[in-house]
Amino acid sequence: MLTVALPKGALLEDSIRLLQSIGLDFSAFLEPSNRLLQIADPTNTAKALLVRNHDVPVYVEYGQAQLGIVGYDVLREKVPQVAHLADLGYGKCRMSVAVKKSSPYRSALELPLYGRVASKFVHCAREYFNSLDLPVEIVPLYGSVELGPITGMSEAIVDLVATGTTLRENGLIETDVLFESTARLIAHPLSYRLDTDGMHEWIEKIRAATEARV
Amino acid sequence: MVYQSPAGARDLLPLDVAQKRWIEDRLQQVFHCWGYHRIITSTLERLDTLMAGGAIQRSTVIQLQESEEEELGLRPELTASIARAAVTRMAGATLPLRLYYNANVFRRAHEGSHSRQQEFYQAGVELLGTGGLLADAEILLLLIDGLNSLGLQQWTLVLGEAGLTRSLLASFPLAVRDQVRWAIAHLDRITLETLSLTPELREQALMLLDLRGRPSDVLQKVASLKLDAYQRKALDNLKSLIELLEKSNSLPSTPHPSPSLILDLSLIRTFDYYTGIVFEVVSPSEAGLQILGQGGRYDQLLGLYHPQGQSYPGIGFSLQIEQLHQILLPTGQLPQQTPGSEWLVVPDSPQAYTAALAYAQNLRHSDSLARVELDLGGRTSAEIYDYARHRRIAQIAWVKTGEDPVIETVNHQP
Repeated sequence: MLTVALPKGALLEDSIRLLQSIGLDFSAFLEPSNRLLQIADPTNTAKALLVRNHDVPVYVEYGQAQLGIVGYDVLREKVPQVAHLADLGYGKCRMSVAVKKSSPYRSALELPLYGRVASKFVHCAREYFNSLDLPVEIVPLYGSVELGPITGMSEAIVDLVATGTTLRENGLIETDVLFESTARLIAHPLSYRLDTDGMHEWIEKIRAATEARV
Repeated sequence: MVYQSPAGARDLLPLDVAQKRWIEDRLQQVFHCWGYHRIITSTLERLDTLMAGGAIQRSTVIQLQESEEEELGLRPELTASIARAAVTRMAGATLPLRLYYNANVFRRAHEGSHSRQQEFYQAGVELLGTGGLLADAEILLLLIDGLNSLGLQQWTLVLGEAGLTRSLLASFPLAVRDQVRWAIAHLDRITLETLSLTPELREQALMLLDLRGRPSDVLQKVASLKLDAYQRKALDNLKSLIELLEKSNSLPSTPHPSPSLILDLSLIRTFDYYTGIVFEVVSPSEAGLQILGQGGRYDQLLGLYHPQGQSYPGIGFSLQIEQLHQILLPTGQLPQQTPGSEWLVVPDSPQAYTAALAYAQNLRHSDSLARVELDLGGRTSAEIYDYARHRRIAQIAWVKTGEDPVIETVNHQP
């Protein structure tokens, strides 16, 4: 059966709405009482897995899910071997460098040599500072990275910014944008080549529904 | 202290070996039937030999510290070694060379990889010195024959033509060609949609990305493109090859859930290693779809190893023994236990040792396939019966001095 990996969190509602519009109803995941991690749609044509954002490409790379929806930020961070099929348009945010507003820095290039940068997106951050040829120490964190500059542990952070409210409220200011991110449709490459479970038909429907919404 | 095996290493115990041999023996039988001869090359190669073809990155090779002028690595595949070994002997040899191998290969797990396994086993063939349609057909039919000899039920052959696809990519401006090729090889449609391309070129790139499916449909689609003489010839060859395959009736007949042959012209690499057909064998397993083997034509490769740069056509494939093992295990075809011995020879006292040794040797000579074990003493007869039952030994010969051995058939019924 066609299996789609869906990310918990910010992208879930839009993703479920998108799939609903092409006839695959996984809205049971949105019910507050739901504890199931895997459900089939009411017509029993497809299954959905509810997984952490960063785990979506893992399930797709291993082929347990033929399709997945995940933010571009995760794809940039994990560089999974998956097919990138469509930009779904929603979940807009950007990967940015931010510093304390009270600091003298107003761009990543002004950061001190061997300064510290805290991030959940270690790979993205390292790649970015390598491209600037600026040697910094990347401090991996699992959340609340804003505390890095606030406590003085790091000069800057690299993190996802949607509205910028969290940064503002914590006295941080965005200085550079690494890239823009949106939700992406990804696929297991071999399944895509073999068109298992008629997945191409569903991909076309998703693409058509996405184009119709733009 | 406890001595551990290195991370990523694995020991094969007798039952694993029996199962692995079951697979390898069948493949080897088929390779022999097609007139292929085994070649054994060095496990260690110079790094430049391994990397000459462009398909192997330094980072994937497990390197060894040797002398300063020679960088050495454990072979990650066999084709480079065989090409190196063959070219020097090709000048005087009668062509083609039909070679097969059954060997271990080593790969360093790349960054971000979830698998830590470093040593793998491969069986494969190389057909060197003659190109053309029939050589392509021979390799594919040999591959199919090999898979059929293993009783594999469900698998799909994904077939591409690297030369044709590369030639179709030549219509893209140099500035973006590599990016387009990378995106097609990695099935990255989003990059193709956002690259700066004219509408016609974008359409062509997107068409190439999805140029796969039933062979007749794909061939028709390609035929409708504007093709030059080279592309037309490649297409004709491909058409003839597919006809030969389909008429051979050797493709799996129960193709559910996927067709047994998919023509996929997006099946390319980002480096110029393959020059003609390329292919992968894909099979469903409990863990999802798996690649069991792959191969292709490499008509430029041998020239890289030839002292005068003279090249010869070459084509081959390799099968992944671990993957085959994993897929065949649930089918119950592989041996479920190591073979038991036919005989247990038990001397009843030290005085009977000479007679027991002679009797055991006699048994071994009389039937070359008989497995004859010697009881090494220190067991009561009840323990000996237990042992025989446990090891599925058919007969016990009790040897006493000066008497004929007493032969007893072991009752294996519980």
